[in-house]
Amino acid sequence: MHMADALISPVVGAVMLAASTGTIAYSVSKLKDGLEEKKIPLMGIMGAFVFSAQMINFTIPATGSSGHIGGGILLAALLGPYAGFLVITSVLLIQALFFGDGGLLALGCNIFNLGFFTCFVAYPLIYKPIQKKGISAKTITIGAIIAVVIGLQLGAFGVVVETLASGKTELPFGTFVLLMQPIHLAIGLIEGIVVSSVLCFIFKFSPDILENALSGAKNGVSSKTGAKNGNVSKKKILIGLLLLAFFIGGFLSMFASTNPDGLEWAINNVIGAPELMGQQGIQSVIADIQDQLTILPGYNFKAVDGEPAKVGTSISGIVGGLMTLAFACAIGFVITKLKRKKSCRN
Amino acid sequence: MSKLITALNNLATLEELAKKETTIHDLHPISKMFTTLIYLVVVISFNKYNLSGLIPFILYPVLMMAMAEIPYKPLVSRILIALPFSFFAAISNIFFEKTVAFQAFSVLITFGMISFTSIIFKTILTVMAVLILVSTTPVTKVARELIRIRVPKIFVIQMMLTYRYISVLIEETGNMITAYHMRSPKQKGIEMDHMGTFAGQLLLRSFDRADRIYYAMKCRGFDGEYRFAGSNKLNAVDWIYMVTLTGLFIGMRFINISIILGGIFGF
Repeated sequence: MHMADALISPVVGAVMLAASTGTIAYSVSKLKDGLEEKKIPLMGIMGAFVFSAQMINFTIPATGSSGHIGGGILLAALLGPYAGFLVITSVLLIQALFFGDGGLLALGCNIFNLGFFTCFVAYPLIYKPIQKKGISAKTITIGAIIAVVIGLQLGAFGVVVETLASGKTELPFGTFVLLMQPIHLAIGLIEGIVVSSVLCFIFKFSPDILENALSGAKNGVSSKTGAKNGNVSKKKILIGLLLLAFFIGGFLSMFASTNPDGLEWAINNVIGAPELMGQQGIQSVIADIQDQLTILPGYNFKAVDGEPAKVGTSISGIVGGLMTLAFACAIGFVITKLKRKKSCRN
Repeated sequence: MSKLITALNNLATLEELAKKETTIHDLHPISKMFTTLIYLVVVISFNKYNLSGLIPFILYPVLMMAMAEIPYKPLVSRILIALPFSFFAAISNIFFEKTVAFQAFSVLITFGMISFTSIIFKTILTVMAVLILVSTTPVTKVARELIRIRVPKIFVIQMMLTYRYISVLIEETGNMITAYHMRSPKQKGIEMDHMGTFAGQLLLRSFDRADRIYYAMKCRGFDGEYRFAGSNKLNAVDWIYMVTLTGLFIGMRFINISIILGGIFGF
């Protein structure tokens, strides 16, 4: 479900990066006061654990397919939401940088979809209230399954909204939602069952880990802020963050609707007209040079729908593009050859 | 198992590549990070139909990969990871946008085909740009610059620890998987019923390991700080690299080199 850079627009990327950076800053500030020095290596190794655990393929009975473990709820249940969010963020950053899984500009979207919705929506609103009357294997199982499903559903919906707001895909909203949500419902159920069984195992052998994370005493949140103002301020902050999410969603959809993919707009974009029109001076100078250098003047491809000029320009764009591509490859090849020759001499 | 081995190899390859000594490796991390960021923003800012304007941007990764002696093999594996979702979102364009843009010889090219190609092309460009950054800049230097640009220290330190311990835990996971398969041969993966115990065991081992790491770090003077040696200033070459390339990228965003080149040759 990791989004790639190629599917987002700079505005969507920047807005989501800002929202995620804000959540990181908020989590750091919540952790800073009470963070035990010892917890830093624990957070680090938990990131590595999630990374490795996600690589374990397990077989899904009766389907013949395989799945992998989800990270957000597991980390929040083990470390608390703030530390869990930071850890999932660092895992996503490492995946983007070193494994090509999700892009750098799409990082904000991925943090929000996979980290925010799980740690700051599904965990406090679903998993935690279910454990309120006393933590047990039953409450852990129910809480984890529902929280993972809801977290993943919100994340998948986030992917739909962010991709459509970026205007890169022609998929209609309804079709996209119908494609994403049911698949992620099935994935969520499987992931939820596995996450709950891991948490139940931990609860059996080392219950203090889950109890500490729930109470928030040892996961880094200062007991002062946690006990005195905890419930009220957390709720306020959560509502604030939810409002922020809705605002961002609304803002993005408004942005999307003001950029309809009309044909006129599309044709202009194919031929690069708006970009060039803004450069009258440069354009006219370049046009003069072109006129003087043209090798095959007057030649044009067959027109479609009576648009000879535009078609011609787009053909020249494609031919020029292919020439640039060949040129780039040739330069790369020559430099590599020269470098090899040099190293052989040395 | 193959997934784990691929991940281990991937990390080892990138570490080895980042240790090389070329002109690009010698540049200051900040100038490379900033240039990469501008490149990514400019590339994704092209609308989905402007393929011709996008093609010249291949020059940057091709030149950098040649100059920094980065092989193309790791690139292919990264593209294979990044491609499925882009492909899924882009392929729909071919079916939903069937308006003919132009005709090349006897083939009708639709807007959907153009946007499909441009999304796939953008994926390749953005993956290449990030690969160039991480295979020419050691991770410790990236961490140093992240702290310098005021990314919270807790986050950077725990990210560095995660990065360092990924290979350790992957090895441990690999050992556990081998042990599991030796007891249950002919099985593809771990049975879903066993996942709780399996991942739970790994988790408990990780907790113990975190304790041992903490004590080892404490013995070596860890006090929550991350210290770096050496000077950290940008020199003239770093500035020239950063300003020239970002200027070029922004220029290429507004001047379509493909159209100019095609025009020169009469198309």
